[in-house]
Amino acid sequence: MSRGHQRRLLPAYLATGAGGAPLPTTLDTLTALRASGLPLAAYHTPVHHRVVELVTDGSLTAVEIAAYLGLPASVGLMLAEQLVSDGLLKASVPVPDALAPSRAGRPSMQLMEEVLSGLQSLRVA
Amino acid sequence: MDSSHSVSPSPRPVYLPEGEHQRAKILVAGPLGVGKTTAIKTLSQIPTLHTDEVMTDAAAGADDLSFVGLRDKTTTTVAIDFGRLTLPGGRVVLYLYGTPGQRRFLPLWEGIAFGALGALVLVDTRRLDESFEVMDLIEERGLPYAVAVNTFPDSPDYDLEIVRKKLDLAPDTPLVTCDAREMDSTLSALIALTAHSISSAGVGAS
Repeated sequence: MSRGHQRRLLPAYLATGAGGAPLPTTLDTLTALRASGLPLAAYHTPVHHRVVELVTDGSLTAVEIAAYLGLPASVGLMLAEQLVSDGLLKASVPVPDALAPSRAGRPSMQLMEEVLSGLQSLRVA
Repeated sequence: MDSSHSVSPSPRPVYLPEGEHQRAKILVAGPLGVGKTTAIKTLSQIPTLHTDEVMTDAAAGADDLSFVGLRDKTTTTVAIDFGRLTLPGGRVVLYLYGTPGQRRFLPLWEGIAFGALGALVLVDTRRLDESFEVMDLIEERGLPYAVAVNTFPDSPDYDLEIVRKKLDLAPDTPLVTCDAREMDSTLSALIALTAHSISSAGVGAS
């Protein structure tokens, strides 16, 4: 269980096994991921195994997965993307679609107001 | 940015709350050593994490992983720190990203900046000019921001109006003082930023 301290055996650019070909990323760095329980296939790399293992007991965002595995955020996203399309990870979006950022990636008013009141109650707490 | 302050990734991950929640992010920006990591540590409820981002000296190619494969001598690694806090009520999980201040690091945080609620720019009165670059970058991206003067024991006690003038801030850009080591002080700075993001979004919509 020394995942975080373990020396990375594969360079980041090989971790995805995709030969460096960029995949179109539909996931956000804050997409939450959790293992679906399906078994990994023979073609999955050791890094894929570590990602699935990391989110077996709970959810983490793509950027947190990258951080725990010592990978750049973009590589964490690619791994997550592959595993979601293979059915091994379940993804949940950072904000519900109906409230998704509309104006050039800006968060909804509702979300910003939730953040404001949350920060205010943390201060008085 | 200041990776020497980062805790090594914990072997035991701190999972997200199980309940339904939204996730939002705020950037904490500024030059090296201005207190970004301190502010993130002060507020984060998990040990701060970082991703090691790879870039080449030719910043334009920094995102292209095929270049990394060359293991060029000009490849450098930059740690991007972040922290996380669940707001009371558990309906929002807020991420704080440390954002390095120089234009050459832009490709590393452009993706991170997308969807951010805004940026808190930390400045040090002893070297205000070092914050100009990151303020320009944030303005170019149309991201709302607030400026917080991080008070260091030996920093000169500037009148905020003088700081505002020196930084050439828009009249509605919030300018506050904060001690990045103090929870309430740092929270107040984030509150000023969030209120500003809300009011500027309101203006944009009308």
